[in-house]
Amino acid sequence: MAGVSRVRRQLPTSPWLFAAPGLLVVGAFVLYPFVSTVVNSFTDRRTLIPGRFVGLANFRELIHDDMFWTGLRNSTLYIVGVVPALVVLPLLLALLVQKNIPGITFFRSAFYTPVVASIVVVGLIWVWLLDERGLVNSLLETVGIGRIGFLSDQWLLLLSAMAVTVWKGLGYYMIIYLAALANVPRELHEAAAVDGAGAVRRFLTVTVPAVRSTMVLVAALSSVAAFKVFSEVYLMAGPSGGPAGEDTTLVMLVQRTGTGLTGRVGYASALSVVVFVVTVVLMLLVLRADRRERT
Amino acid sequence: MHISRRVFALAAAALLALPLSACGSGEDGGGSTDASGKVEGDITFQTWNLRANFKPYFDGLISDFEKKYPDTHVKWIDQPAEGYADKISADAAGGTLPDVVNVSPDLVAPLARAGLALDLDKAAAKYRSEYLDGAWASHRIPGMSGTYAFPWYLNTGPLFYNKSLFKEAGLDPAQPPKTYDDLFADALKMAKQSGGKVATLANVPTIEDFGRYGVELMNKEGTGFAFNDAKGVELLTRYQELYDAKALDPQALTATPESSGKKFLTEAVAMNPGSALDLDNFKKQAPNLYKNIGITDQITSTGHVNMYVMGVMVNTKTRHTPAAVAFAHFVTDAQNQMSFAKQVAIFPSTAGSLDDPYFTEEDGTDETRVRIAAAKSLQNAVNYTPVLFSDQMKTALRNEVAKALLGKESPKAALDNAVKACDQLLQQQG
Amino acid sequence: MTVTEERVQAVPRAKDARVTDEHGRRIRIGELLWRYTLLLLVLALTVGPFLWQLSTSLKGPTEDIFSSPPSFLPEHPTLHNYQRVADTIPVWDYALNSLKVASASVVTNCVGSALAGYALARLRYRGRRIATLVFILAMLVPVEGIIIAQFTTMRELGLNNTLIGVVLPGSVGAMNVLLMRNAFLNLPYEIEEAAYVDGADVWQRFLRIALPSVKGTVAVVAIFAFMGAWDDFLWPLIVLSDPSRFTLTIGLNYLHGTFANDERLVAAGTVIAVAPLIALFACLQRYFFRGVGEGAVKG
Repeated sequence: MAGVSRVRRQLPTSPWLFAAPGLLVVGAFVLYPFVSTVVNSFTDRRTLIPGRFVGLANFRELIHDDMFWTGLRNSTLYIVGVVPALVVLPLLLALLVQKNIPGITFFRSAFYTPVVASIVVVGLIWVWLLDERGLVNSLLETVGIGRIGFLSDQWLLLLSAMAVTVWKGLGYYMIIYLAALANVPRELHEAAAVDGAGAVRRFLTVTVPAVRSTMVLVAALSSVAAFKVFSEVYLMAGPSGGPAGEDTTLVMLVQRTGTGLTGRVGYASALSVVVFVVTVVLMLLVLRADRRERT
Repeated sequence: MHISRRVFALAAAALLALPLSACGSGEDGGGSTDASGKVEGDITFQTWNLRANFKPYFDGLISDFEKKYPDTHVKWIDQPAEGYADKISADAAGGTLPDVVNVSPDLVAPLARAGLALDLDKAAAKYRSEYLDGAWASHRIPGMSGTYAFPWYLNTGPLFYNKSLFKEAGLDPAQPPKTYDDLFADALKMAKQSGGKVATLANVPTIEDFGRYGVELMNKEGTGFAFNDAKGVELLTRYQELYDAKALDPQALTATPESSGKKFLTEAVAMNPGSALDLDNFKKQAPNLYKNIGITDQITSTGHVNMYVMGVMVNTKTRHTPAAVAFAHFVTDAQNQMSFAKQVAIFPSTAGSLDDPYFTEEDGTDETRVRIAAAKSLQNAVNYTPVLFSDQMKTALRNEVAKALLGKESPKAALDNAVKACDQLLQQQG
Repeated sequence: MTVTEERVQAVPRAKDARVTDEHGRRIRIGELLWRYTLLLLVLALTVGPFLWQLSTSLKGPTEDIFSSPPSFLPEHPTLHNYQRVADTIPVWDYALNSLKVASASVVTNCVGSALAGYALARLRYRGRRIATLVFILAMLVPVEGIIIAQFTTMRELGLNNTLIGVVLPGSVGAMNVLLMRNAFLNLPYEIEEAAYVDGADVWQRFLRIALPSVKGTVAVVAIFAFMGAWDDFLWPLIVLSDPSRFTLTIGLNYLHGTFANDERLVAAGTVIAVAPLIALFACLQRYFFRGVGEGAVKG
């Protein structure tokens, strides 16, 4: 009897049946097209013209393409600018909304709204806010600072885009931290308080170590997203990537070179492959650093 | 109505260098180039962001056609402004391009190269005489023989200026600049008088600006770009002076046609190119500006103003070539273009239409004045943007121009680099 | 079952009569004060921009929207701009299409990723690590480069120009699968073991025990799926040709192209695009925060 039911439970197809819909969709619509991207990266294919095999020519060209290095610089800067903010600020925010005071559920939900809105809408809203005659500049002028060209200077544009990324990401990572904080034993805090540790000390010696693995996760997720940044910069700096293209990110370059009727699909594919490899490496680095510290 | 400038520089690329055989996939999948058969069957017609404002016009147009040819059925689809080239690319690559498609010359070029646009010199030669020569020629592609789309509507427009800003700067509002020398002198004066607060121009020079200034854009054979000549360098050098003096808006480097239009609207910039369409917009959005609006002709060194051309092409793979050609012609024939022109401020590309009283007789309104002046200038207008100037090339030029304006490169070096990049793209994309 | 109850408790409960923290301790007034000040400050930062957009959309044509100092409230609030949006594009038809696409995406994502997540977390078989890796890699692929290849596949399936074609590529998101996997991983084995001993088969264990314990994560996936489908622009544009099937984001783009200079109209459009999402989130937020308590998004 037991043997029969065991056989029934262990039907070999069953686990694959569970995973099948997901694997099919992801395989057919993400991985298979990506494999063709990898293949294309070794050809000179264009949108309407089938390519010939050109070996590593695209990758060699990439090394001599100034715009590639600009893109790499900006995507890297984006990590540097965005990741620390997204690791720290949402944690502080989570601490702020953790205490169950009246109305706190409202605040929690409200802080999450930027995550819910689409990036295109968020882009439109912020372009309108940061416009030379928009709300932010009106306020700055009213308080006597004067108008600032957020959307015309190369570095201010990049900073503004980063600010939007952080603004949109705050709620998302806040939630992740909230979940982690729920698991921090309160006794730790109390013990520290008894020892006379101040709020900052307690934060550094109790909270941070307790949510360290979550911070690593947030760092990993946000750096992969930051490296692949497209929409925020595209919407704010425009399709050509700000003044003299200086705000172009790598994925913007993929889009610019590869789309349209004259798109250089081969070259853009090579760029895509580079982006993919870098994100995989980033992910591995973060996870490895985490593992090393844990042991 | 969306007559975006971006669009006109969007797709065309370097299709010259490649032998025709590389563009092979044109012949499979049926469809004939013979348009002489019976006009029948279901066809699909795609326009570019015209539904929002002109639905009744197109519904009427289609039912007229179906009445004339009862065995046909036309399905009309309209695409939004954004992503049009992406949409067409996917359809062209996937074999789902509609039978009759609204295109601009730079979109036609790659499609023709890939064998997807019907050669109308072969399939519709009899209609050729109905159109203005210049308009018909705008869908020819250097390095290929043939014409690949019917010309549809044309657009051009005057230069608007803000009389009160001119007055404040001590310039005569009745004497707007007529030549480039005037323009640059006035702009510098305006910047000086307003302490750099009011710029005169809001856009960096684009390929059509170089053309208007009299720069040769491409070599005679159409195999390489040439806008880095002395004349081109001169124009860029003068723009650089303007930029340093804030006579060219400091935000020009990141401006889009929309944002610079807005700047003019909010009276932060004193001049802006536009069309009769904009008058209505000024009236509604900025009544104060409208009271002080000045209208003058486009400034050129060549005597030919710039025009934009829209076309209607026929997909070579259509199953109903006669019906598709007949419909494309129907949409663009004199009568229907004329009635479209009366709906919105555009101009017909059919021969003789511009002599219609609608385009010649004043009635005292600004709209009519602008319309008549534009119609007159269209008689010898030029579409300066080379058909082969792709979106990628446009970005390359824009970025090099920006480097020169920022003083990171000399104008000469910037244009040399831009020409080099565009030539390379021309070769790679072909 | 006791386990799930404990998890629920980890999420702070609704208000108490006294002002206390999650452990029932009284909070000092001073602390309350600075907490609320900070909360309101962050509130202004996160929600303020949306309200400003709403305010702009309600301002009439005569009102100066560029004024300095800015006027936060419309002097003569009007729905005129919304009326104009509805006159320009068939908003309701497009919204209905978006709703269909987004709802379908919610269903497929919840079902597909729950199943796959369960398989990755709970079932033992050869190739499990590879299957997990497949989903992780899929998450890292830059999608901007693969859209035409996706379209070609869709056309080969004969699904271009259908709403199914719009839904399909995002019907089981790799990220959602991994979220579900983590949720299942965090469930203690013991609760399923009991059922296993009782002779329940895989499907019974999945449906009756595992799935009900991760309801919150399912809510998280539902919101992500709805958001993703509702907000997408480029893919629906590429797949669909027939205007009667267009989704709201495509429709709203007509506004941007046609009335680029009219901030009020564009603002009205963005409000129409965002409002349903905020409403949905407001309805689901209780489940959502419970999902968080389950540690779904913890990794």
